[in-house]
Amino acid sequence: MRISRIIGSAMLALVVFQACEKNEAPVVVPTLTEKTVSGIPADTIVGLVNGQPVGAGKYTFFSFETNAVVPSTDSNSVKWDVAVRGTTIITNGGNSGPGVGGAFVYVGTFDDLKTVPKDSVFRQDNAPTSYAVPNTSNRGWYVYSPVSMLITPIPGRVLVFKTAKGKYAKVEILNYYKGGVTPSATATDAEKLKNQRYYSFRFAYQADGTVNFK
Amino acid sequence: MRVFFQTLFLLMTTVSFAQRGTDSSKINLDEVVVTATRTPRSMGNIAIPVSVVSSKTLYQSGSLRLNDILAEQTGIQVIDNFGKGIQVQGLSSEYTLILIDGEPLIGRTAGVLDLSKITVKNIRKIEIVKGPSSSLYGSEAMGGVINIITDRAGQNKTDLGLRYGRFNTVDGNLNFSKRINKTDLAASLNYNQSKGYSLKPNAVQKTVEPFRRSTQNLSIHQQLGKQWKAGASFRANTSHIDNTIFVQNLGTTIASKGFEKNEEYNLTPYLQFNKEQKIKSILRGYITGFNALQQLNVKNATGGYDDRFRQLFARVENQTDWQMNAHAAFTAGAGIVRETVRSNRYDTASTLRTNTIAYFFAQHEQKISSKLTWIGGLRFDANQAYASVWSPKIAFQYKPSDKVKLNVSYGRGFKAPDFRQLYLNFTNVAAGAYSVFGSEVAVSELKRLSTAQLLDQTTALAGNLSALKPEVSGGLNAGIVYNLDASSQFTANIFRNDLKNMIVTDVIAFKKNGGQIYSYFNLKRALTRGIELGAQQKIGQLIQLNTGYQYLYTADKDVLQSIKNGEVFQRSLTSGQAYRMNRSDYGGLPNRSRHTANLKFNAENAKGYFSTIRIIYRSRWGTSDLDGNGLINRADEYARGHVQVNTSIGLPLNSHWKFMAGIDNLFNYKDIQFLPGNPGRRAYLDIQFIF
Repeated sequence: MRISRIIGSAMLALVVFQACEKNEAPVVVPTLTEKTVSGIPADTIVGLVNGQPVGAGKYTFFSFETNAVVPSTDSNSVKWDVAVRGTTIITNGGNSGPGVGGAFVYVGTFDDLKTVPKDSVFRQDNAPTSYAVPNTSNRGWYVYSPVSMLITPIPGRVLVFKTAKGKYAKVEILNYYKGGVTPSATATDAEKLKNQRYYSFRFAYQADGTVNFK
Repeated sequence: MRVFFQTLFLLMTTVSFAQRGTDSSKINLDEVVVTATRTPRSMGNIAIPVSVVSSKTLYQSGSLRLNDILAEQTGIQVIDNFGKGIQVQGLSSEYTLILIDGEPLIGRTAGVLDLSKITVKNIRKIEIVKGPSSSLYGSEAMGGVINIITDRAGQNKTDLGLRYGRFNTVDGNLNFSKRINKTDLAASLNYNQSKGYSLKPNAVQKTVEPFRRSTQNLSIHQQLGKQWKAGASFRANTSHIDNTIFVQNLGTTIASKGFEKNEEYNLTPYLQFNKEQKIKSILRGYITGFNALQQLNVKNATGGYDDRFRQLFARVENQTDWQMNAHAAFTAGAGIVRETVRSNRYDTASTLRTNTIAYFFAQHEQKISSKLTWIGGLRFDANQAYASVWSPKIAFQYKPSDKVKLNVSYGRGFKAPDFRQLYLNFTNVAAGAYSVFGSEVAVSELKRLSTAQLLDQTTALAGNLSALKPEVSGGLNAGIVYNLDASSQFTANIFRNDLKNMIVTDVIAFKKNGGQIYSYFNLKRALTRGIELGAQQKIGQLIQLNTGYQYLYTADKDVLQSIKNGEVFQRSLTSGQAYRMNRSDYGGLPNRSRHTANLKFNAENAKGYFSTIRIIYRSRWGTSDLDGNGLINRADEYARGHVQVNTSIGLPLNSHWKFMAGIDNLFNYKDIQFLPGNPGRRAYLDIQFIF
């Protein structure tokens, strides 16, 4: 549906372009890409220390532009836009990276956000005190239930990013568990631990530098 | 299903050999009830929703504890959380007042008064009043009042009962009452135990741990001349629950063993004056205490868990009833309450927390014509530890004919902030170092942490810290009672309760170590509304049919507003994507079933042979949020609705020996996750000897 709309608007643009400048053969590339990604590990659990589950302490870096995981050797570059470790999400900016990135949490649905509102303020990371995307329960993108010990993304939260290079992207986190399926509340603790810290999300990336997500 | 037909067959055979009895085929409308107006009134003349459970129903239902019988009443739901609490008109246990012989029971945990502490084997009857009655009873009488009337003095009857059932359930009971000249004596003893059970096969930890409980009652009443009467009753109740908790830590299982012990006692002396049926004045004292002790010890380790809670409630009250003339009656009363709590949950176990309440109430009942009566009441509670509160109530009854009764009433109810909300001083060292401070200690605790440089920042709410107000409700009830003929009755009642100033916890500050600090605020607003329907039908001399249904809608009003504003979202189970929530998706407050119903058959002959089948239905109810919005909305956030069937049969041998047997939960319905208090099918055998 969305893809066809993008193609549709691209076609329309083509017609308009052709109408205006008949002499040149324009190269029109749709600048908005929309993808769904799953299975992004975020410092998955390797064991228990003093009874608390721990990972290796490593972030997984991701680029919206290439829709791919960026090797951690490139962590000090603008090749990545966002990185995840447990429930902490960092942006390539502030004290987290050399880029100009930042983010804020928009309340609404993914489709509601058709453009970045004019008065938006992109927050920057000041790790470990504060993050552009708050990393505590019920204040940013997720809620932790002490009863079921499960982490659930809050519905109606869209993370709006400024990328490392100053472009815009929006993200809806869909799930925090392996295979995009949250374990049952009655699953064993081991099951809940083993399968957590795998992000599924969808994003829209605007490559033309505008704030439009249409 | 096969079992069902067997039971039906059992019922039929019981009926077929039953003979024509002397038992009336009429529905009793003249039952005298005291709870609704604090004065004895026949049920047909009460303008608010009221029902009575008789000792006969209690016996024939095979009930042991108060939750057993209340679970079978229309519009009442037993919820298993911190013990067996009840929900009336959609209001949870903390908003329902439980009285024993007119005096309030204390000993709530997280607002829930565990009904399984209360034996029904010594109960004469239970009166249930729905809707707010704070105008008469003060705090907690919001959703309803359950009054357990135990006193059998003057019955001149002694009986001994013994019950054995599944899970090694043993219940022994002795009731004694005797009239000697002008003195009435009554005593009862009850012992109840079970070895507990595990719902999950091969589980190391039991779902319900072994427990034993005992109750002792003693009452004496002395007529002093024509006008004066004095007496006292004493009741003591203890329960002991084994506790074995297994904690998985670093791959090893650590067992901690301990127990939970609850003791409760109450003493009620009184002096009563009566003059020519015109003036009745009673001076009552009431002292009740609740001591809870919970200890857990880990093997080969020091320390362990130790929780102590001691509550004392003392009250002196006078109530005077004045029958002015044939059309008007006036009641007034006043009293003083002093409450104290010592607990290491708040501070050290030696710190004493107190509250003093002074109150008065008045009620006037006026018969305007033979058809129309109104009754108005008002109560004022002045509290030391929190804001004072007025509770008015007005009710009208209109009887257009002998068969029809129309009732309308409106009242305000309130619940006082409890000691936990006022004085809790709790810091969890293990999980995130969060703290919870009661409203009365929060400001000083914040100051202390700030001085010690432990505070990171405070939230806007911290500036709103002030004395907690009581939670209040307004309740409207409008109903009809229609007596088609002497053997059939229909009732309907529409209700609505609007609650505000409901107390919730919220974050007031963050500590430098990341821990959050919570305190209590009067923030939440909610509503419950619904309709309750009931029908009774006698069929011949032997069979009685009772049926009831309740439709219930509940909501957090702020959530409704947010839904209206388009600020509430939910997540699809299939795509994982979020979308906006509609009002129809909102499942309301948790633990509420939209539909509840019951159908009860009872057959009894003149010789006392009886058989009952009680079918109880409860539709799905919200349990906990799974899609991150904190609300009940998605289908997987509900527990399954179900039907439970209970049955019993009674075989009196002669005037001394009575046998009965029964099966509760005949079809063995279980829900391991959401009904841990339901162990499945339970059969029992009960013998009673009457002296």
